Amino acid sequence: MAKRLKASERRATILAVAKVLFSDKGYHGVSVDEIAGRLSVSPAILYRHFASKEALYEAVLNEIACKRESYVEVVVGSDGSFDDVLRKITRIYVDSVSSDPDYLRMELHSALDGSDATRQFFENRWRPFTDFIEFSLGDLMAREAIAPLKPPVAALAFQGIIREALYAKCIFRTSRYSDVTLPVLCDQLVELFLKAVGYAGEGQNPARDRQKD
Amino acid sequence: MLTADLEVDARGLNCPLPILRAKKGINTLNSGQVLKIVATDPGSVKDLEAFCKQTGNEMLESSQQGGEYHFNIRKG
Repeated sequence: MAKRLKASERRATILAVAKVLFSDKGYHGVSVDEIAGRLSVSPAILYRHFASKEALYEAVLNEIACKRESYVEVVVGSDGSFDDVLRKITRIYVDSVSSDPDYLRMELHSALDGSDATRQFFENRWRPFTDFIEFSLGDLMAREAIAPLKPPVAALAFQGIIREALYAKCIFRTSRYSDVTLPVLCDQLVELFLKAVGYAGEGQNPARDRQKD
Repeated sequence: MLTADLEVDARGLNCPLPILRAKKGINTLNSGQVLKIVATDPGSVKDLEAFCKQTGNEMLESSQQGGEYHFNIRKG
């Protein structure tokens, strides 16, 4: 017989088990019966806490959302330059996400589950990066500190670079990168990105200097 | 009515940009001067409160006006 738990404890254990199963099989691969079975309770117990499987999935996502990374401290501690802020917020995000591989698996499944709402949820976690990069590159171009490029494309490239590193290290555990830690790998990828967009530091104006040649 | 010494427009900007704008704006002020910042990101409320706590600046006012969030911050 299942141990009698308080409502809040029961809810928390349901969410924890559901998260593991959703991350393993995606939304469509998990049934309420299976979640209940893992908890050794009847489905009726689950429905006391969550109206539907969809509501349960949303609750799992909300738990994740509540743990949204705070970039305030690192931005306050940065020197305000594009590269320093980008390095610091990337490190925060990578540390947070890599400590919860279930999150990454859920993100992967969401790409195929067909739900725009959940896909949008995961895309919103990248918004701080895409918005920051697009805005900053636009500003750098206006000051002729970098050559013209398309900021949304650069932002997409960055998202792909870091996402791929997270998948390689945390999910696929690709042996090719086993000799470098995830934080160091991401630092190196940030440097590659900065070189690719032609960033040479604040106050530099290589685009203007090239015109003089 | 409070008059700000510097106004920063962070409308349309999402985290971390309002914080960065606030940081850069505050850095140009002297102690006691007031920065006004207007944002549309709902997350800016919590973020700017945390910003003030971490930097020793004082949040004088924080209000929502329509779809905008208005903040007056005094430099510590």
